[in-house]
Amino acid sequence: MSTSLQQGLAAMIDKIDAPIASFFNSCVHCGMCADACLFYTETGDPKYTPIHKLEPLRKVWYREFTLEGRLLKMFGLAKAPTDAELVEWETLIYDSCTLCGRCSMVCPVGNDIVYMVRKVREGMVASGHAPAGLKEATVRSIEIGSPMGVTADTLRAQIKHAAKDTGLDIPLDKAGVDYLLLMSSAEIMQFPEFMGAAAQIFHQAGVSWTLSSTAYEATNSGMQIGSSELAAVLVKRIVDAAEKLKVKTVISPECGHAYTALRWEGPNLVGRPFTFKVKHILEVLDELRAEGKLRTEGLETERMTFHDPCQLVRRGGVHDQPRNLLRMVAPDYVEMEDAGNMNWCCGGGGGVSANERAEPLRIKVFSRKKKQLDKIGVSAMVTACSNCRNMLEEGLEHNHMDIKVLSLTELIAEHLAK
Amino acid sequence: MSDDKTLAETLAQRGISRRSFLKFCASIASLMAMPPAMAVEMAEKLAAARRQSVVYLSFQECTGCLESLTRSHSPKLEDLIFDAISLDYQETLVACAGHFAEHILKEAIEKNDGKFILMVDGSIPLKDGGIYSTIAGRTNLDILEWVAPHAAAVIAVGSCAAFGGIPKANPNPTGAVAVSDIIKDKPIINVPGCPPIPVVITGVIAHYLTMGTIPDLDELGRPKVFFGDSIHDRCYRRPFYDQGKFAKSFDDEGARNGWCLFELGCKGPTTHNACATTKWNGGVSFPIESGHGCLGCSEPDFWDAGSFYTALSAPTKDVANWAAIGVAAGAAIGVAAGIANRSTKTETKRTRKPLTVDDLKGKPKS
Repeated sequence: MSTSLQQGLAAMIDKIDAPIASFFNSCVHCGMCADACLFYTETGDPKYTPIHKLEPLRKVWYREFTLEGRLLKMFGLAKAPTDAELVEWETLIYDSCTLCGRCSMVCPVGNDIVYMVRKVREGMVASGHAPAGLKEATVRSIEIGSPMGVTADTLRAQIKHAAKDTGLDIPLDKAGVDYLLLMSSAEIMQFPEFMGAAAQIFHQAGVSWTLSSTAYEATNSGMQIGSSELAAVLVKRIVDAAEKLKVKTVISPECGHAYTALRWEGPNLVGRPFTFKVKHILEVLDELRAEGKLRTEGLETERMTFHDPCQLVRRGGVHDQPRNLLRMVAPDYVEMEDAGNMNWCCGGGGGVSANERAEPLRIKVFSRKKKQLDKIGVSAMVTACSNCRNMLEEGLEHNHMDIKVLSLTELIAEHLAK
Repeated sequence: MSDDKTLAETLAQRGISRRSFLKFCASIASLMAMPPAMAVEMAEKLAAARRQSVVYLSFQECTGCLESLTRSHSPKLEDLIFDAISLDYQETLVACAGHFAEHILKEAIEKNDGKFILMVDGSIPLKDGGIYSTIAGRTNLDILEWVAPHAAAVIAVGSCAAFGGIPKANPNPTGAVAVSDIIKDKPIINVPGCPPIPVVITGVIAHYLTMGTIPDLDELGRPKVFFGDSIHDRCYRRPFYDQGKFAKSFDDEGARNGWCLFELGCKGPTTHNACATTKWNGGVSFPIESGHGCLGCSEPDFWDAGSFYTALSAPTKDVANWAAIGVAAGAAIGVAAGIANRSTKTETKRTRKPLTVDDLKGKPKS
């Protein structure tokens, strides 16, 4: 037996904790989370109401952990979710939720709905109802080391290119340095400029850093698919490397969920505090700026805006840093409506981008981002998440919108004072 | 005692003018929230009424209620109305004694069977066969059960008859109960108070004589017209309560300024009676006006409702102890639920295999 309904229900029972119980108890069925979810606002379909997506988990909680539910269960009246129900909910929980956390922000009783969605995914993946694309990405992450199949050899090849382009030394597995920089496979494969940009910035700032041949991948498919056990395996890889190299700080790259997985969930996943700090690249850059170690020259002439990656701004509180950095180089910088803590998701976070089945829906709900952009008329959008970059580019292309999507780190690197 | 004179004739004999009588009727009518036109009708009906036979039984009581009704102040209309009814039996007032008195009671019952009003004053002891209060060798219970079935209606006068009163106060050594605890098949009008206001009694009788019915009663069997409002709602010191101005002692500046007595234990907010409107002693004053808080005497079990001098907002029972028990019980339930939930989880953890990559690939577990 590999995955089954029983395994799925057992996983949910195993993962239901005090917050889950209090959240379900607290829900007043106000429906405010619906209007916070772009899958609801852009489709108008009530099935996309965030709290509704949790129904299988609610059933399990009610049946196993409430007095009333247990009594009814004794008489066979409280039913557990069926396999057919999980099949139906699979699309709701994986295709129409990017774990963006907007619903958690508006809940009047403070329910962290994203936290709850994560628990539903625990049951979904254990019951075999996870999207094929996400399963494959997770298998590659565990077995090869990266969801896109990037190996240490690929990394070494890219290091060579970057060293040649920048004329700088790009250290690998160097012990005792300040920073261990992680990468996302998107950055290694699709946006290779990122590595060089980081190298230039660190060189100018005069800080010591390294890459790791065993922990180069920051993204965590285990978290996206919803398995805390597999997520822990991936986090452990980074922890081992960071502790072996005795670095002070691990830098999560321009990726949203990697930061959440490592910084906020990491210590809980491995079951102990880290011996190093975890920071997002924007936090590090802003610290260097504040210390006067990050100096830029020249200004952008284009009208720009910043797209806040959900995991950074909402789940991680990285709000002011990108704005401080962007103002260094972009004088005509404007905010989108709802920017910051209530920014709308690109539509492809939380594993949705790895799920081909979800593509039509994801493209449809990009209409929300389009509305945001149409109001401000910019020619470039800066962000700090490779996944957002990909999703935004796709959405813009589909809507024939001529707006460039830039990486904030790369933008800063282009303006480094010589 | 009874004769065939009408009320009007009796009053005229006593030198009460028709004008004074109309005034009385108008005040009773307004007091009972009847339309003004009712005053004239009431006067006519009352004037023409033959004297209503009343039997007044005194049980476990202090005679304070009777004092209140008959001697509260020198002749007033309500006393005369009371005089003008045919009070056929009242053991304190009856001229004769012994067997003669008991004979009068028997005669009154037989003569006006089904028509007389039975007024009961005092509670009825039930403990030990009711031996704690007997008249002519018969227990109060025995007498009540004998007389009540022959009455048209019962008026329970005073808090003892209405709710058990002071005899019923904890630990209730005589097993005292109210009239309504024994008599179930007759209309009972409770006129509580320790003692009740005289005009309330005459008002109820006037209503019965005029309308032939008993007035609207609240859930405690009290006439709504007199007991509909709380003392607090009608209190002339209410504005001070609303402004948060309270007397803190009986001799501080607040007390001298006539501020609200809530913090000195006034039970006005929870007490329903007409004291603040009709007042006492011919409208001279009432307790709060005299500087003392209301005791709440017209409410059930007022004697056991905590100190007269403790503010209503303070607990009267051992709250801390019960709260501790409640917390302990809650904790026990919580721990039990926690253990149950833990066992559910432990059992699941024991049987469940962690997810592996092979599971994602659909390979069987080794």
